Amino acid sequence: MTDLPTELSDIVGARHVLQRATELLVYENDALPGYHKRPRLAVFPGTRDEVIAVVRALHRARVAFVPRGAGTGLSGGALADDVVLIGLQRMRRIISVDPAGRSAVVEPGVVNSSLTKAATPFGLHYAPDPSSQSACTIGGNVAENAGGPHCLKYGVTLNHVLAASVVLPGGDVVRLERPGENDTGYDLLGAYVGSEGCFGVTLDVTVRLTPNPEGIRTMLADFTSVDDAARAASAIVAAGILPAALELMDHGTIEAVESSIYAAGYPRDAAAVLLIEVDGALAGLDDDVSAVQRICRECGAREIRTASDAGERARLWQGRKKAFGAMGRVAPHLAVQDAVVPRTKLAPILARIAEIGARQRIHVCNVFHAGDGNLHPNVPYNGDDPDEAARVHAAMREIMELCIAEGGTITGEHGVGLDKIGYMERLFPGESLDAMCRLRDAFDPERRANPGKVVPSHRCREWLAAPGAHT
Amino acid sequence: MTARSPAAQAATLPLPGSENCVHCGFCLQACPTYLTLEDENDSPRGRIVLMKALADGALSPDDADVQLHLDRCLGCRACESACPSGVPYGQLLELTRERGAARRALPLIVRLILFVFSSAPLLAIAMWKARVFRATRIPALLARLPGRAGFALAMLASTRRSKEESSRTYEPRGDGSRGKVATLDGCVMEGLFAPANRATERTLAVNGYALVRAAGQRCCGALHLHAGDASTARELAKKNIAAFERSAAEFVAVNSAGCGAMMKEYTHLLAGDAAWSDRARAFSVKVRDVSELLAAAGPAAGGALPVKVVYDAPCHLLHGQRVSSPPLAVLAAIPGLERVPLTDSEQCCGSAGIYNLVEPEISNLVLAPKLANIAASGAPVVATGNPGCLMQIGAGLLRSGGVAQCRHPVELLDASYARRSAANSHI
Repeated sequence: MTDLPTELSDIVGARHVLQRATELLVYENDALPGYHKRPRLAVFPGTRDEVIAVVRALHRARVAFVPRGAGTGLSGGALADDVVLIGLQRMRRIISVDPAGRSAVVEPGVVNSSLTKAATPFGLHYAPDPSSQSACTIGGNVAENAGGPHCLKYGVTLNHVLAASVVLPGGDVVRLERPGENDTGYDLLGAYVGSEGCFGVTLDVTVRLTPNPEGIRTMLADFTSVDDAARAASAIVAAGILPAALELMDHGTIEAVESSIYAAGYPRDAAAVLLIEVDGALAGLDDDVSAVQRICRECGAREIRTASDAGERARLWQGRKKAFGAMGRVAPHLAVQDAVVPRTKLAPILARIAEIGARQRIHVCNVFHAGDGNLHPNVPYNGDDPDEAARVHAAMREIMELCIAEGGTITGEHGVGLDKIGYMERLFPGESLDAMCRLRDAFDPERRANPGKVVPSHRCREWLAAPGAHT
Repeated sequence: MTARSPAAQAATLPLPGSENCVHCGFCLQACPTYLTLEDENDSPRGRIVLMKALADGALSPDDADVQLHLDRCLGCRACESACPSGVPYGQLLELTRERGAARRALPLIVRLILFVFSSAPLLAIAMWKARVFRATRIPALLARLPGRAGFALAMLASTRRSKEESSRTYEPRGDGSRGKVATLDGCVMEGLFAPANRATERTLAVNGYALVRAAGQRCCGALHLHAGDASTARELAKKNIAAFERSAAEFVAVNSAGCGAMMKEYTHLLAGDAAWSDRARAFSVKVRDVSELLAAAGPAAGGALPVKVVYDAPCHLLHGQRVSSPPLAVLAAIPGLERVPLTDSEQCCGSAGIYNLVEPEISNLVLAPKLANIAASGAPVVATGNPGCLMQIGAGLLRSGGVAQCRHPVELLDASYARRSAANSHI
């Protein structure tokens, strides 16, 4: 019997199998600094058939694996020790675009923004737009049920995936589709989207494409207090306006972005800005703009500017979308949270987060989807300073407990991964977690796919007996 | 498993700027070698991990895998244009390569090339021989030979200019009011693209610059620095600083994007040298790409040159110097010239100094989409302001039987000025 590296090399070619520790080093983490897990092998299949053959070989060898897109995840989701990493970055063909049917079929390694680029000539776009869309892949988006600023109006990945072909960890290839009005059966696609790589490996995805709106108005409102900005965000939605996006950035974030090549002209002396976009039919659009401006002014906005052209609009968005990366200017390490809280409680919760930050002497930079209450407190810190690192982690726990206590949840779009698995038991009763384990068993009875994610391992009976689960 | 040498473990070397990387991955899609080789070890984010591990001793500098991935970097710095955190990737790579070069000999071909470029007489002889050989037309005949030799011949053949272009002359009427400018001759530019250098001088003069000579100038040192030979690079930099100081020029005009990027960074190169750091800073702030100087002056419109042109941005102009619109302003000053868009014009062509001779296989893989995009544009002329790109794309076009020709933007502007001059003289 041949050894696994040889067998995998025979499938994908030796150049696409990494086994030396030096070459695996760069695959030890995703985009959330702080978590390192060492895979035993990395394999990069280039075709659908190669993916299936790889998964079947791993099934025969009873080896655990982790599917990985571009490694832009923010929850440590694509990491595990001693697994075979299946990198899907070579699977980046857009198989078809159907302008009339407003859909496209893509391989999992297609970069999110490439899909929109391919749809642009038809006046269409792919609506879910995670801030990492210039790098992240559709396969990863499906695994994490990714969101993005425009999900406030258009919905998350789940709402835009029509079907997927998946190779299950046991090697079977299945087609998952959403049951229609007249179809029956369980919504397996709904279960698969957001399963964080624990249910199998995506071979292709059929996505919905969205017509570009007739008109778009992008506004930047600037505030002298975070509290005013948060109240304005809440008031806009309460007034019955559904913006396409409603984002809040605080002073620390503005500073980082304005120091970068993505400087967007955000006012450096503002305590917070709201980036507000309304879109849709031209009729009535400017009424929405007037209403948003009025509400912002009533909440204390100093100035509200509207992007004058597509270039300015793109700059305003680029600044927001690259804010996470720009945090590297502040400090070398970064803790990121992804809690969702009731929008009406944004202002008091942000005040409490600021208190926690001050007490723990850490630098919290807020940049988040205010419209749907999806907070992203970013904490840049120096991980080489054990005292600071301990304070950061303590603060992160406090922030998370606060959000849970206020009726929120632990992840809006980044997934549970490694980073939030410790909070699952706070959020769900044991019976719910057991139900999740049983659902997983239906897809991956041996629990070899992305071991140690989503449900804490001790919650699942027989978990510890599963190979590769000891993470 | 992990190659930890005891000696390496002891030393933790600084890698200033690497701490800015938070691993966001926004650089991945900007990287030509990642897109070509599809492995993060060949991406900016991956290489930063490797460089950090080398610096802190977690990886041995003798590890062949690590060196392979670092050697494969084109140094195009497209990642810097994508990086929200401002990681100075080019500087990290130079520092790491400098440290690596101290431990292992560079390949023979690299050492040979660097030696020739560091010696003015040898360089002059080599370039003269190359021109004589080019004149035999043998390089053009053999340009389609397979492999590295064939590509090198095609590069040489692509530098040939028509008699009309080589002998172009007109009286550039300018008033010199925009200040004194000294041009960098450049090794390859003066050696193989002399008509482009003359075009540079004439177009600057037309646009009101007074040209002065900077005698004693040398190779800019970019090839040396990028290969890890920082000490030779520093020596050459000092000679250039002194030469241009003597010229008393207000601006140093450079028509080679790679050399311009290098000379703008003499400040960084000599920051640790107390005797030279101030002089280096004073020098670097005077350095301009020729297109920057021309754009600042308008540039003056020329005679009609009805031709379709695509512009391909040299990496060291777009990413290294962040100069994007001035070359377009140069082309826009030419009446009748129609600039058509080039898909992925901001992507590297795979030239990267002497990379195409050292890593021919990857270089060709990076070049292939560029040639396809040029063909798809249907334009017969590719404008790009760097000798490496001119030869890389030029050779690729020759070998693929493409009809397009590669020219420096100032050559096109110069042709336009020559037409205007000829038209005026007939009046």
